[in-house]
Amino acid sequence: MNIGTMAEQAEDQKQDVSNDAGQKPEMDKPGGGAPVDETADAKANREEEISTGGKNLEIGNFRVFTDLRLPEFDMGHCKAYAADNLRRSEGNAFALVTDPVLPTRYDLIKFLSGVHMAGQIDLLDSAIAHWPIFGRKTMVLFFEKPKGGHVIVSSGKQRSINEQDIAASVVEPLMNVLQALGEKGLTHRAVRATNLFFGDPEGGKVILGDCASGPPGYDQPLVYETTARMAADPAGRGVGTLSDDLYALGMTLAELAIGRRPLANMTDQEIMDIKLSKGSFQAIASQEKLPLIMIEPVRGLLCDDPEERWGFAELHAWLDGRRTKPVQGNTEKRAARSQNISGKDYYTVRALAQGVAKNWVNALTPLRDGTVEIWLRRGLGDNDRAKAMADAMRQLQWAGADKRSAEEVLVARSILILDPSGPVRYKGFSAMVDGFGNMLSYDVQHGSGPQRFSDVIVRDIPAFWFGRQEGYSPEVQRLQSAYKNLRYYIQQKSAGYGYERCLYSMVRNQHCLSPMIEQEYVVDIAQLLPALEKAAENVSDDAWPVDRHIAAFIATRLEDDVEGQLMAMQNPSDEVEYSRAIISMLAVVQWRHGPDNLQNLSHWVARLMEPAVKVFHSKARRERVETEIPKLAKRGNLVELYNLINDEQERRKDQSEFVEAVAEYSEAESEVFDLESSGPARLEMAEKVGQQAAAFASTMIALLTVSALFLMHIF
Amino acid sequence: MAARGRKPKGRSAFSGLSVIASAVLLFMVALPTFITLTVGLLPSLVAFIFDRSPGRMMARCVFGLNFSGVAPYILELWQDGAQTVGGATQQIFQPLALSIMYGAAGLGWLLYLAMPPIVANVLNLSAQRRVAELRKNQRGLIKTWGDSLIKEVDRSG
Repeated sequence: MNIGTMAEQAEDQKQDVSNDAGQKPEMDKPGGGAPVDETADAKANREEEISTGGKNLEIGNFRVFTDLRLPEFDMGHCKAYAADNLRRSEGNAFALVTDPVLPTRYDLIKFLSGVHMAGQIDLLDSAIAHWPIFGRKTMVLFFEKPKGGHVIVSSGKQRSINEQDIAASVVEPLMNVLQALGEKGLTHRAVRATNLFFGDPEGGKVILGDCASGPPGYDQPLVYETTARMAADPAGRGVGTLSDDLYALGMTLAELAIGRRPLANMTDQEIMDIKLSKGSFQAIASQEKLPLIMIEPVRGLLCDDPEERWGFAELHAWLDGRRTKPVQGNTEKRAARSQNISGKDYYTVRALAQGVAKNWVNALTPLRDGTVEIWLRRGLGDNDRAKAMADAMRQLQWAGADKRSAEEVLVARSILILDPSGPVRYKGFSAMVDGFGNMLSYDVQHGSGPQRFSDVIVRDIPAFWFGRQEGYSPEVQRLQSAYKNLRYYIQQKSAGYGYERCLYSMVRNQHCLSPMIEQEYVVDIAQLLPALEKAAENVSDDAWPVDRHIAAFIATRLEDDVEGQLMAMQNPSDEVEYSRAIISMLAVVQWRHGPDNLQNLSHWVARLMEPAVKVFHSKARRERVETEIPKLAKRGNLVELYNLINDEQERRKDQSEFVEAVAEYSEAESEVFDLESSGPARLEMAEKVGQQAAAFASTMIALLTVSALFLMHIF
Repeated sequence: MAARGRKPKGRSAFSGLSVIASAVLLFMVALPTFITLTVGLLPSLVAFIFDRSPGRMMARCVFGLNFSGVAPYILELWQDGAQTVGGATQQIFQPLALSIMYGAAGLGWLLYLAMPPIVANVLNLSAQRRVAELRKNQRGLIKTWGDSLIKEVDRSG
């Protein structure tokens, strides 16, 4: 699928997006890791000159030879390089360099690292390291070299596996892997013939290749995806379920049985059309010649109804030679008459959903005028869907001023009514709900931006998807509760929320995309401060060490609650609170994860502490803090720097004293005002008092005189 | 208010009547004393007539000192056993006696004139000293708390 064109479609709303123009794979630069046709990739690799020079670098316990390519071990979009295990002399390792602009799968790396699992290539270790070819850091996965090499060799041809041996050589080991992953609630999502290796030089049992280097299903050829997921963009195909892996196993068996990829001569659109019209198995069976022995498992595994699809029980039964229940080839109901969208006739709801998604603007008219509803009711006899469609149309009539937006929501909802198990599709965006995170990551890192994702969330399209799911599923419940958080995050505009928060909360292995540290490939919170320490060497004076991405990254990855700090960051104009919140966040990260000495970052923070010092009103306190800051910055401890401005007792004392001082000043000011403005009143009072005093004095003199005269007279 | 307004007027009428009654009584019982008092307290009489201000402070000032000036002559008159009108007239029309009586009345008037400016000056000086003290305190507060204090005061209005 042409992702670039999809993005343009979202922006321009152009019609009839071609999906045939495959993106040229190239992994010599970040972002080159488009989903690839491995055969073509292998061809390109063959032409590469394999150098034997001495360029190498040590990554963890391994020495990787950067100029010693191992194209025979390339997996998916990632390239393999020769590597030596420095800790172990036996065994042969190789390094698989992942694309830094595609998120890896955290849960699988964690589960598979250092674990030997029969049927799965041994993932020895993983490390984040600077990759000179990219000029930036990326994740490198170290695998044990499979002893037997690729099952599908670089020429695109298959090394022979006897049809009789497929059960023991392929099905058993792959079942083992899927079962082990399934027990942990994980999916492989990279089960395909081109990702199979022989576990031994004799070509005995096969092992599955890497499944952790990119988004789930990203490298899968379209034919390997179920009819539900194939309409999603490669990055948004989603984690899926065991059932999706079993479908891919069925297609793998088909490819191994016929000796080449099924429907390889068809474009993606043709593959989708034929699978939707005939059903997956019929599509393969009608075009390819399947060996008789493989028809039963392939039919069972390629069943388009996940409920009907073969599981482990049926596979075990088949391996044991027992008969299993027959499955229907195509469960999709076909209409008696077609529904036309933009000149193309559609007979099934899923095909029509895909047609509507591809002809976004032109599809509106038949949806709005009720043509599709009538087709559902009369052509297909599906009254439930017709009623749902009528309800969606009725909601369009209630739309307020934003008519265009309501129409777009109608189209998106109609697609979900037609294909409720398919991806959420909205103006070129097409991703399964469990693939939103990786789709967003892909869009953000490949130039499409987060707008498409934000639109989907703001328009509440996934809520409709949840509403269309039938029956109880814990997985859907989990996704639904996660989705509620996404809506909250998107609705908040301040740092620490927005699409950034959605991205980091949905994709565990998403590295921090802050421009300051993106090259450092910070996946874990513990890597954040060392990366910022490095960035601090060349940072401009006015830049803040916490931007929207870093705030969201900390909020998601840190064990502690930083909502208080994020609240304080909502108002950047309040410099005091803003800088305090930033310093606080960084200090908490250092306190939790170290390292103890961050001199450059401390000096950077110290420069930005000027507003935070204003938290103290007292000049004496400020001067003391300002004197202390350089001393503490030299020690590289952010916690001490934060404590300096966040001494709660001292702050409270300062605050209460300040309040008292303000009151005292105000009282003095008001008294001075009174005194200065009361001149005439004072004169008036002085006159009155003066007169009274004079009268009193006069009376007293009279009394004294009379008394004195009497006394003189008596004595 | 009307009741309050009437009360001082009634009291004033009463005190005027009592003064006249006392004067009549004095005229009938002790004419020499009456003559001395009437002539000696002439300035006070004039002051009471012309001073219409509330409380008649000027008249009180003049009367107090005027009476102090008259009192020695009344006493002298009473010490003279005859207590004749002639003796009283002779005594009172001595220039020195009149000067003392009227001079004392004059001093009372001067006291009335001088006292308000003196009190005003005292009040002004005290206010100025208080303003200076408050300003000094404010300067001290600004020195301790800086401009943020002024900003906060301005903000809080």
